[in-house]
Amino acid sequence: MLRQTLYGSLILAALGLQAGDTVKIALTGPFSGGSAPMGTSARDGSKLAIGEINAAGGIQVGAKKMKIEIIERDDEAKNERGALIAQELAAMSDLSGVIGTVNTGVCMAGDKHLQEKGVTKIICPAAGSASMTQWSKAGVKDNSIFRFAAHDGIQAAMVVEEAINRKFTKVAVVFDSTNYGVSGRDDMLDQIKKQGDKLTIVAQEKFNIGDKDMTAQLLRAKSAGAQAILIWGIGPELAAVSNGMAKINMKVPLIGGWTLSMSNYIDNAGKNGNGTLMPQTFIEEPITPKAKSFIDGYHKAFKVGRIPSPVAAAQGYDAVYILAAAVKQAGTTDTKKIKEALEDLKEPVQGVIATWNHPYTKWDPADVTTHEAFRREQTVMGMVKDGHVVFGNDADRERLRKSAMSATPAKTKAKKK
Amino acid sequence: MNASIISQMAVSGALMGLVYALIAYGFQLTYATSKSINFGQGELVMVSAFFSLTLTNLGFSYWFMVPGGLLFGALLGLVVERAGVRLALEQKSEGWILLTIIIGLFFFSAAENIWGRDDRPFPTPISADPIHFMGVDVTRLELAVAVGVLGIMGLIELFKRRTLLGKAFEAVSADRDAAELMGISATRTVMLSYGLSGAVAALAGILVSPITTVGPTMASAIILKAFSVAVVAGLDSGFGVVLIGMFLGALESLSSYYLGSGWREAPGLILLILALAVRPTGVFGKAIIRKV
Repeated sequence: MLRQTLYGSLILAALGLQAGDTVKIALTGPFSGGSAPMGTSARDGSKLAIGEINAAGGIQVGAKKMKIEIIERDDEAKNERGALIAQELAAMSDLSGVIGTVNTGVCMAGDKHLQEKGVTKIICPAAGSASMTQWSKAGVKDNSIFRFAAHDGIQAAMVVEEAINRKFTKVAVVFDSTNYGVSGRDDMLDQIKKQGDKLTIVAQEKFNIGDKDMTAQLLRAKSAGAQAILIWGIGPELAAVSNGMAKINMKVPLIGGWTLSMSNYIDNAGKNGNGTLMPQTFIEEPITPKAKSFIDGYHKAFKVGRIPSPVAAAQGYDAVYILAAAVKQAGTTDTKKIKEALEDLKEPVQGVIATWNHPYTKWDPADVTTHEAFRREQTVMGMVKDGHVVFGNDADRERLRKSAMSATPAKTKAKKK
Repeated sequence: MNASIISQMAVSGALMGLVYALIAYGFQLTYATSKSINFGQGELVMVSAFFSLTLTNLGFSYWFMVPGGLLFGALLGLVVERAGVRLALEQKSEGWILLTIIIGLFFFSAAENIWGRDDRPFPTPISADPIHFMGVDVTRLELAVAVGVLGIMGLIELFKRRTLLGKAFEAVSADRDAAELMGISATRTVMLSYGLSGAVAALAGILVSPITTVGPTMASAIILKAFSVAVVAGLDSGFGVVLIGMFLGALESLSSYYLGSGWREAPGLILLILALAVRPTGVFGKAIIRKV
């Protein structure tokens, strides 16, 4: 009896020791289906960073070093799965933070559960504006949801600007019927108005997830005389659009959200994808030593010759370092304290995209950029060329290299959008 | 409106409609001999397409992969017949409905586990470049679909009319009991029909994959339309499915152009309801005379 109690307490002690000795971070996202290239890349980028941190002994939390323990969940890009996973994560008492989510709809369905419990989450790489503006619309005073991605507001501005710079006057706006596509369309319409109504929208076309035949939509755009197609969707359907354009001999540029860099777009569109333009925060080109070691590290660790979605991978990587810095500064694994530290990071964090200097500030419901890390400076136009994403123009390479090497300007004062 | 747009939409739609026709033809083959239908036919299309993709990735040439894929489809058809249909038919039960659905679900899960849930491109030596013909752009891929569909249907119809085995097939279709009295094994003929039906499904998969990409859900939309085509045309007219298939395809793409892409599926369903109301045996079906 005594012995049993002794063993029992030993086991309990061991468990307690283990529980107290790790920082639990959940990685979520779609690891299967049409959004998988983004989901797996973000997850693997995060894992690469976590591997490096753990190999160096872990994060300094207060007096001791703690390793990161990963909790991994596949939301299959389905809103209802995302909601279930968020509920499960919100119920974990010792979770330090969540990094992930690719699909705006999944954010909308799940994040409220985390926000209610005050669990710190860094959305990465879902870009749809709605996943952050839902909090300002609801007017929440205290928000535990952050984003680490070039949100659609920035991206739509760049897409519209690109079309204007190329002297186009008539464009077709094409989008998928998901939360992501529709909110992308709204951002684009918004930006067209904001940038002086220089573009006339000659056609607005919608398609559904799983559609393969886009002939009808494209013919309408073609017969209306569209000089470019501005598009918001995900990989497989975007590829169907490119292939459909080749079929009806429609030779106009496709410009759209960063999803046009997904491997399932590039592969399925083949040579029809050449010349497609999209905003990127990271190009798989070793422009800095840090980028080189990241790209090589990723290729080696996950045995690939090309990162399925370089942007998602690099963002997943940097997001882990930022969260780790917040854990260190908070000196505890308590997710609420980590949130406070995240809103006021004292030390710059060196990532592969940039050196992040005070990326977030205290949440202000009137200004979502308080919880957005990315600015226009960290984003460039990428272009598909023979199965890879390259810089859309060479000046950008230098600009991105500079921005990666130097620290981002501190965000002490929140800029109004 | 614009005549060239109308003809473009109609031609693209009709060519896709031939794929519906081919799958519908697979339903007809088994219905003729056994009065049963494989409700998991879409999964046969999908699994055969994945198998053919694997053959291609292993380095086999396209012209070896096609017969390989067809053979695999035929084998799957036989599996469905043996596991799902034969016992039910012997007991004169309708259990094959549920059994074929279950076998389809099994194939679906197997495909997800073996090949994953992603859509993948299907390489083909046929170029996807458009050919301009009388104001209409058609890709070689689409033409290949037309040639393949009409080719295999022609071959099977010839087989049914010109060979002894084919005549046995027709005999069992006409009257199973009488055929058995003449010494024809109905069981073997049903097996043959399921094998052919599987091969036809595989060909549909191989032909449509380069256009739609290969994924576990690739056939779920197509199969519903194939059902509509089979029902509207009638379950015993090979010629009818081709016509109705092309008609439905053209109607779909025209309505997605004029009514908006959200209405794409609507005309097919309306057509189905109308056909069931007005001609339950199908537009090209023979009225069944029941002797009492």
